[in-house]
Parts: sequence; C-alpha cells; structure tokens
Amino acid sequence: MAVTFKWGARKGDMPVPAPAMVSEPPITLSTSKVLPRVISVLSQRSSPVLLDLGPVVGSNIAFFGDRLACKIHVEDLFNEVEEHARRSSRDGLATTLIGRLRHPDESIDGVLCWDLFDFLDNATGKALATRLASLLRQGGVLYGFFGTTPVELLHYTRFAVASENTFRQKTYPATAVRRNVLLTRDINRMFEGLVVAESVLLKSSTRETLFRKP
Amino acid sequence: MNIGKSVIIKGELSGSEDLTIEGQVEGKIELRQNILTIGPNAKIKAQVFAKAIIVQGEVHGNVAASERVDIRDNGSVDGDLSAPRVAIADGAHFRGSIDMQRQGQGAKPGDMKHPDAKVTETKPTPPATHAGVPTPVR
Repeated sequence: MAVTFKWGARKGDMPVPAPAMVSEPPITLSTSKVLPRVISVLSQRSSPVLLDLGPVVGSNIAFFGDRLACKIHVEDLFNEVEEHARRSSRDGLATTLIGRLRHPDESIDGVLCWDLFDFLDNATGKALATRLASLLRQGGVLYGFFGTTPVELLHYTRFAVASENTFRQKTYPATAVRRNVLLTRDINRMFEGLVVAESVLLKSSTRETLFRKP
Repeated sequence: MNIGKSVIIKGELSGSEDLTIEGQVEGKIELRQNILTIGPNAKIKAQVFAKAIIVQGEVHGNVAASERVDIRDNGSVDGDLSAPRVAIADGAHFRGSIDMQRQGQGAKPGDMKHPDAKVTETKPTPPATHAGVPTPVR
C-alpha cells in the first residue's frame, strides 16, 4: 500500500527502494499538508493527551513527546483488525475495537487514526467513529487518511513522522481485504459530532483529513 | 551488579548501584539514582522505578524513569511508561500509555509517576509557524 500514498510527490520524494539483496519493503517518504496543522493545534493545548490507533512507532513517540510533552496512549487496532481478518470474520470486530478504548469520555486531545477506516466496513467504522468522537475533548482533533479507490489492500502501513510535514511509510503484510471507500458525505456522517477542519485530496487519491470537535 | 538467569525474586528490590537483571522479579524494583538493565532473558512482573531503564526482556507492569526509558529490539513492555525521554526500537513490543509530560504540567494525583522521581525538564521545540495555516482550532 505504500505506493498508494505518494502524496505531494516530488522527484526527491519517490520511494527509496531497499537494497536489492534484502527483501524489506520499500520505505516511502511523503509530504503531508495536514500534519503541520495537527501539530499546530495540539501544541496550543496544555499537556495534550494523544491516542494512537496504529502500531507503536518509536520515532513518533520521540517526535510527539519532544514537540508536545504529551501523554500518548498506544492502542494498535490494526492488530485486532488483522486477527479478525485471519478468522475471515468481522463479527464482533466493532465490540473488540471499542473494548480497547476504555478511556474516559472527553479525555483525549488528539486521535491518530492513520488509514484504519479503509479496513473497516461501514457498521464497524460508524461504531468506532462514534466512540472516538465521544473520547475527544472540546477542540480536540482526529487525523486520518481515507482511500478513494476500491482496491484490494494487501498491506498495512506504519506511518513514521519524519518531520513536521513528512512521513516515512513502511508496509507490513495484511490479510487481503477490499478497501471500504467512503464518499466525503459518508465520512461526514460517520464522524457525526465532529467537523472537518481540513481535507486534502492527495495525488495518490487518498484524502488526508483533520476533524475537530467543536 | 547482576541478577542471573536462575534467580527468582518475589518482593521489593532496591539499591544504589546500577543493576542488570537476567532472572525473574515479581513485586517492585526501585533504583532511584541508578541505571536498571532488564536483560534479554529477564521476566519482570513489577512496578519499576529507576533513573534510566533499558528493556531487552519482558516487563509486565508500570515503568517510570527520571531520565529515560529505552525499549530495545525484542524488548517487551505491557504497562504504562513515564519518563521525560522514551525510545522504542522498531522490533519492540509495547502496549500501554507513554507519559512524557513535564513535571507539574500533566501529573495528577494517582498518576504512576514516582513521587520522589526527579524529572529532567525537556524543552520542547517551539511549534513552527505555517504560512497559510488559519487560526488554531480550539
């Protein structure tokens, strides 16, 4: 999936292939237009609390810790998605995901969703989005990517913040699942209670979106 | 000082010198002024406090350091971390929360931060100003 995220691609930003002898997936460096806004918003909040729904990435912990002196909850929901996908069953996935989010309501300043919703069906996505909206404090933000092409997803992506406006992306295998493409209207309905603060359609046909809780 | 592979300790472990654990500890570990290394073979079920903590083995429990926590490749922590600086290697396992809030800012009563822990203040990089970015969302 890394190759699908070539947003803001310039010649110098193209995937850097791993050495030929090594079968490591390529690392893609991408420019983000929305991440600076995320950081800007969070840096204005005192001792912000973040919720990262992706796998733990050491460089992200160091980056956000240094910039924001924050508290970060890491809840790798991709891991739960993968476990259900391996069992070829989505039954109970929503309950499992929400069961991982036992934080008090209105206790989170920022949610890092990454591209999680691409892997969820509408019902699961709606249930999760509702829970995330209730976790956010007033003025809190939720950051995510939404693919717009209905392709088979064969990889998850580990997003590592490289600087205030760039990511390194590294893929790791996923049980194949068809991307759930959400129209802008569907996204707005799914995240009821939040408003879209910024949304950018990237060259990779991925929508990079920042929501905030009014 | 080394605690070998075959050693099992249940209870409270404290001291004033650097320590490497390769065995098993259940309870509490406290080395306020020293470096604790949890070796690749170690299995810890304990609350851990130290100046700096290097994790190469398994830890179940909350981990607090006044300077730094470093979870190395193949290291594993199930619990909450509190330290001004935290490093997590790519191959490491971690499940919990990470508190890098500066002392006095986010600490609330009941937080796991050790009351006597001296927290080195880290100066955050000031946020960059972005041209074209509207008024921050509040």
